[in-house]
Amino acid sequence: MRLELGKIFIKDVQFGESTKVENGTLYVNKQELIDIAMEDDRIINATIELARSGESVRIAPVKDVIEPRVKVEGEGNIFPGVISKVKTVGSGRTHALVGANIVTAGKIVGFQEGIIDMSGPGAEYTPFSKTYNVCVVVEPKEGIETHAYEEAARLAGLKIGAYVGNAGKDVEPDEVVVYETKPLLEQVAQYPNLPKVGYIHMLQSQGLLHDTYYYGVDAKEIVPTFMYPTEIMDGAIVSGNCVAPCDKVTTFHHLNNPVIEDLYKRHGKDLNFIGVILTNENVFLADKERSSDMVGKFVEFLGLDGVLITEEGYGNPDTDLMMNCKKATKAGAKVVLITDEFPGRDGKSQSLADATHEASALVSCGNGNIIVELPPMKKVIGTLDYVETMIGGYEGSLRPDGSIEAEIQIIIASTIANGYNKLTARNY
Amino acid sequence: MNKTIITNNKLVYEKLNEKIETQFLSKYSYIEILEHVRDMIHEGNKLLTHPLSGSLKPNETPFKSIVVSKKKEDLDLEGLSIIEDSIASAQKFISGKPTPQYNERILNDFRLIDLSLLENAVNRMVCL
Amino acid sequence: MSKIRVVHYINNFFAGIGGEEKADIPPEIREGVVGPGMALRSALKDEAEVVATVICGDSYFGENIEEAKTELLEMIKQYEPDLFIAGPAFNAGRYGVACGTIAKAVEEELNIPVVTGMYIENPGADMFKKDLHIIETKDSAADMRKAIPKVAKLGLKLVKGEIVGPPEEEGYLVRGIRTNYFHEKRGSERGVDMLVKILNGENITTEYPMPNFDRVEPNSAIKDMSKIKVALVTSGGIVPQGNPDRIESSSATKYGIYDFSGMDSLTSDKFMTIHGGYDRAYVLENPNLVVPLDVMRDLEREGVIGELANYFVTTTGTGTSVGNAKAFGEAFSKKLVEDGVEAVILTST
Repeated sequence: MRLELGKIFIKDVQFGESTKVENGTLYVNKQELIDIAMEDDRIINATIELARSGESVRIAPVKDVIEPRVKVEGEGNIFPGVISKVKTVGSGRTHALVGANIVTAGKIVGFQEGIIDMSGPGAEYTPFSKTYNVCVVVEPKEGIETHAYEEAARLAGLKIGAYVGNAGKDVEPDEVVVYETKPLLEQVAQYPNLPKVGYIHMLQSQGLLHDTYYYGVDAKEIVPTFMYPTEIMDGAIVSGNCVAPCDKVTTFHHLNNPVIEDLYKRHGKDLNFIGVILTNENVFLADKERSSDMVGKFVEFLGLDGVLITEEGYGNPDTDLMMNCKKATKAGAKVVLITDEFPGRDGKSQSLADATHEASALVSCGNGNIIVELPPMKKVIGTLDYVETMIGGYEGSLRPDGSIEAEIQIIIASTIANGYNKLTARNY
Repeated sequence: MNKTIITNNKLVYEKLNEKIETQFLSKYSYIEILEHVRDMIHEGNKLLTHPLSGSLKPNETPFKSIVVSKKKEDLDLEGLSIIEDSIASAQKFISGKPTPQYNERILNDFRLIDLSLLENAVNRMVCL
Repeated sequence: MSKIRVVHYINNFFAGIGGEEKADIPPEIREGVVGPGMALRSALKDEAEVVATVICGDSYFGENIEEAKTELLEMIKQYEPDLFIAGPAFNAGRYGVACGTIAKAVEEELNIPVVTGMYIENPGADMFKKDLHIIETKDSAADMRKAIPKVAKLGLKLVKGEIVGPPEEEGYLVRGIRTNYFHEKRGSERGVDMLVKILNGENITTEYPMPNFDRVEPNSAIKDMSKIKVALVTSGGIVPQGNPDRIESSSATKYGIYDFSGMDSLTSDKFMTIHGGYDRAYVLENPNLVVPLDVMRDLEREGVIGELANYFVTTTGTGTSVGNAKAFGEAFSKKLVEDGVEAVILTST
């Protein structure tokens, strides 16, 4: 499977008469976006606001972040099985508005969403402070069930992402990157002397309201499966879960999976990137046993020499992470784990809820319990009403002047456990 | 059903007790639920769901629901080690920063999340 | 600004009072510097002044921990220090534990920064490295000249509230406190680098070492206890009156094997506990609370167990290094097996 990803670099965002990209500026028609959000009768109000990198703006509570993309050539459309027809994606040509994002905000449940600061010390922890964000703040119909509202908000974000992405369809990209993984036998034959490497991608599927979706299928219903790496770049996976903000693998992060990107950088040079094993993080121990068995089976079947494993979340997923590590090792692969840490406020306790001696190579995405001071911002998109009950917040977190003291857990994707950020932790 | 839910969440009891026998321990704290389950495992019940499900840190929610087998069998060593590790993790978080006293509206959110996890699991129980 | 006030803790040996024969001297305090305090004074330069030195014998400290702590704290408090420095203790085990204990107490009670120094294998290092900044020293006082400036530098930084660097920069033992920083490469790139290195057979350093898994797989259960010989093993410090083998009250370096054949229970006239880590009052009255000979005899009579070995194995668990404990176990297990023991009941406190 071969995908050309055309990157259109966005350096500003403005409201405009029509939704379009011109000279690196994204113009959006406010009313068009509101209309898309309001198509769903579970949403009674939607507002659109812009937040630019470096501005004194705080966005809360953030639900998901979506990079606008569009299929230019090849089968299927962005987010197949969710907002477009089910069709295998990942080949042909796709354009991405790199540097622009759709940010959905609004209360879902009191504590699972997080904060994005566009400037100041909090901005260092989230990639979305460096981008030009179109914020969609939604309000649910009264009395609507939380699950239904979550779904409505998620779909609104994805639809707007695809709509805005469409503006890049006929724009000449600033850069085109080609990613290719061939069918197994051909791929193995292409670099016969390089170690065969796979990526075990653990999808959050505990059932917190909703889960992660692969072509529209709830990840907790899947048995581990194989995916060409480029499928993910066309939105084969979307985020619908509620998890601690710092851990959240947003839809943006699925589209821009850093492990896949960095494995491709060494593909054909130091390693032979065979593909992605998708698995889940269910709460039933029997499910964990079955899924990790199948992960081990894939590692053996594909003849992988090495694998990287990433997780989403804390606690329950740590057990899946360790089981996958054990079984992939047993199947003959060298294993590197990427995760974040929660060693408590004093930083002295065990960082993970589970451990195994096979986990001897681990990359840390930082300690989520560290406390950070976030000064007040001139403008708030959404509301700060829930700051104290968000994960990472506590009583007294929000001060009358609008400043916040909280654990960095409260910041969206601050310690995201797939290695997207540069934050890490070490022993002092 | 040969399974039973151990919970301190009244919403779980109200919604699920008809389907699966539920031990509603209203006065138990998060840690006490874990300890109760640990004791049951020592008595031969098998641990069926992960005690730290939800990715909520143990000092963020007061509610916890865990599914165990009703049938007493040989000691579930794997389950025992998972519950012991979970208790250690929970104690670490709670001793560092105790679970806040939430108002009823927020408590309901936490009840809902806990129920949501369980419902998802319970709906899949047929095949287990 | 007035000078930073420092109080220094040393043992009898470094105070020049005497060696082992003087290890039982109680706490005392002297104005100004004593012994290694002179090196400390010059390392602190003009910024700080050693206002007093507290001195205590190592065995006095070890045997009277609570009293020694209280007395020393009272003495230290009077001098209103801004910084407390203990040792360095190098490889002296009891001195290291004393430095760690008093430094931790000062930090908690007087709420001022503390620094000590030890050799990495000093039992005090393992016990206190999480709580304290312990400058890593060599295993003898010959390292004093190099160690003291590091102690002084870190101490001054702490008093002034300056940012303390990572262990290798400041010279303290890794405390295991997970601290964030921004790496030049993102996590996924480091992960791929790490994997490629492993696949090429190169060494890598994990960013989060797994906790030490020295777990012992449990043996399969014994089907019939009524046919086998059982032994009692304890880390609760039960010894015959007078502690004939001089097993230490903490950080044990030896274990003992003591006969109780013909006895129905351990009586307080014959047995005692020397364990330094719990309130001994009840056990001194009734040693069976830790080594349950009385109930084991009942089980023997009732035929629940086949036979009880005619001795018990004992040591002190508190502060004892994992290395020592492992070596004890390996040694006495051989004897147990030779004597036909098939099951052991381990009691701790």
